[in-house]
Amino acid sequence: MRLVPTEEERDLAAMLRQLFADHCPVAVVRGLREPGADRFPKRLWDELTRAGVLELPFAERHDGAGGGLVEVGVLAREAGRALCPSIVLGTLGLGLAVDALGDDALRDRLLPGVGRGETRGVAAVASPWDAGDLAPTLSATTEGAGWRVSGVVRYVVDADLADLVLATALTPEGRTVGVLLRPGDTGRVEQLRTSAGDRYARLHVDATIPAADVLPDLDPEAVRRVALTLRALACVELVGVTEAILDRTVEYVRGREQFGRPIASFQAAQHLVADIHIGLQAARLTALSAAYRLGRGEVATRETAIAVLHTAEAARRASLDAHQLHGGMGYVLETDLHLWSERARELGVLGGGPDQATRWLEREVVDAPA
Amino acid sequence: MEFALDAEQRAWLEEVRAFLAEHVTPELRAELAEHDLELPGGEVAAFRRRIGEKGWFGLSWPVEYGGLGLGPVHQHLLMSEFEYWGVPGPDLTVTSVAPMLMRHGTERNKQEFLPPIARGEMICAVGYSEPGAGTDLASLRTRAVLDGDAETGAWVINGSKIWNSGAQRSTHEWLCVRTDPEAPRHKGISVIIVPIDHPGVTVRPLIAWSGYRTNEVFFDDVRVPATNLVGEANHGWRYITGALDLERGALTNAGDLRRAVDDLLRLARSPREDGVVPADDPQVRRDLARLDADVEAATLMGYEAASMLAEGIIPSVEVSVEKIFTSELRQRIAVAALDVLGPEGLLAHNSAGAPLAGRFERLYRAAPLLRFGAGANEVLRDVIAQRGHAMPSYGR
Repeated sequence: MRLVPTEEERDLAAMLRQLFADHCPVAVVRGLREPGADRFPKRLWDELTRAGVLELPFAERHDGAGGGLVEVGVLAREAGRALCPSIVLGTLGLGLAVDALGDDALRDRLLPGVGRGETRGVAAVASPWDAGDLAPTLSATTEGAGWRVSGVVRYVVDADLADLVLATALTPEGRTVGVLLRPGDTGRVEQLRTSAGDRYARLHVDATIPAADVLPDLDPEAVRRVALTLRALACVELVGVTEAILDRTVEYVRGREQFGRPIASFQAAQHLVADIHIGLQAARLTALSAAYRLGRGEVATRETAIAVLHTAEAARRASLDAHQLHGGMGYVLETDLHLWSERARELGVLGGGPDQATRWLEREVVDAPA
Repeated sequence: MEFALDAEQRAWLEEVRAFLAEHVTPELRAELAEHDLELPGGEVAAFRRRIGEKGWFGLSWPVEYGGLGLGPVHQHLLMSEFEYWGVPGPDLTVTSVAPMLMRHGTERNKQEFLPPIARGEMICAVGYSEPGAGTDLASLRTRAVLDGDAETGAWVINGSKIWNSGAQRSTHEWLCVRTDPEAPRHKGISVIIVPIDHPGVTVRPLIAWSGYRTNEVFFDDVRVPATNLVGEANHGWRYITGALDLERGALTNAGDLRRAVDDLLRLARSPREDGVVPADDPQVRRDLARLDADVEAATLMGYEAASMLAEGIIPSVEVSVEKIFTSELRQRIAVAALDVLGPEGLLAHNSAGAPLAGRFERLYRAAPLLRFGAGANEVLRDVIAQRGHAMPSYGR
């Protein structure tokens, strides 16, 4: 047990923070939201690819950098701070899922392209309401040399930017297989509007998929570990979002004067900030702990549930109290706070928020034998 | 970052658990239940001697001061485990007073006081608060005047201290006094070690709502050797704020909270007198799951503070967070127990028929202490904002 970052972790975080500061300023984030704008962050993507960000966790035989989930966590946290467009971590998530669930042939085929930034995508292997619910919403039957796949995959993030979506499907025999969907080719993509743009989609799938794009006979434990890993990484990302909210808010209240003094000098303001800080400390430690345990191969349901609880609650408190401390100066759209508030809200919901996580935890803790 | 114990840390934890399994006897438990720590020469005293024989009072001290040189992580693991078992371990004398002596004491201070502390023979009560100086500690008024020179003279002490816990079973006071009344209030403070059996020292008991005994201690022309001054005169504020950071770090591990939630889970899974199994109730289930999540966060906060200390960083903001979080969590556990236990939870501690001998009945009365004690949480929130985020002081 050593809960201080290593020098390598600190160096990686500093490198990434600089990278995002240079290439992912708020202007880039805003530009992607403009009506009619291309939602793909081309220049940022190229810079991140050049820096090797997308090959971070993959083995050297797949042209990867051989990093672990702790390193991916460092990336997720910095990405959260900078509001890095979700296609980046989404694509890494696809790569992690393929790495964990695919065979060598599939890894050899896909991972180098993910690492080089040539293949974009997202993994959607669990319910968007509940990352612990792995029941596929697609069905698959063999058809000739391929598979006939049909059904609906809900709330897929960035499906419009994805070359590949990894989902799961149920066979008539009740086995779960993985399917690589190509949005557009494999069925209708129904875009769903959010306050941050058309970011989600329902994939209405009805297509024949070649056998090479099907991952047969998935191990349920392995799928669960992937689903929880993606949920835990979203928690780590949310920690970064929350840290940025806290930093921005402190900077604002230190500079803003009312009644002839900085509003940061009022105890009521200090205690709001302190409570954000306390929630964040719990969020940071529990999120990193969950990612660490998943990275060691544990299923870590309890740790992930705890991370969801603490990160979502800390983020909600931080962003809503940040709005209170900013007043109108954080409320109008020409200021930036709402950009972080929207990400904080989303990351605390997708895959299940505190309410859902509490149910996981009830099963793990309350129902466990004494 | 490493969130799992390494092989050496696991082995250490096993050693601590084996010690506790051997020496936490039914007799020790019975004495603690009936007399708390107050029976001289009984099982608690024998248990303390065994801890001393292991060298565990000085486990985190450097070897040159008679310690085992094991470091803050080992200390934290041991303290958490002792708290989980609900038995007294190394106290503030070894976790807070001794490190300050090592850091700031004179050579003579160290030679005179560290060896008896390591043997468990010297126990300090910590004399900070006064009737008029609680959370606002820097307004303390107990005076010490030097009669003679700094080598052969004596300090003459007058005043009183309150919330002087453990004074009735201590050998010395780690006493905070004003030595320069003309200096700005943080500058004229010193720390003097006072043998508690010296003429002029009077200990008056104060019994708290929890049943816990604390004391008011009066100093009436008490004379101690000039060399009992810790470090330098008028530098005491720096020493005691450092000691308070260590004290918070030492006081706040999540061992007792983990135990409380484990106990509450067990109680909730069994039928109450009315036949209800509390853990079948959806709201109780949610509350218990939530408490488990909070105890986990508190545990990690303790690990983080210990890890930072091991790297030579004093985690003053982190331990403020930990202290606030754990003390407020303790109250939430006590409140949850009210709902789980119903009227059975009102049966007095140590009375017949009380669930777990009334441990949760007493916890409800005990929980307020750590929320206002050792730095009121409101002041610690100021510390987080001001020290952690450079928000301006409003004149404290």
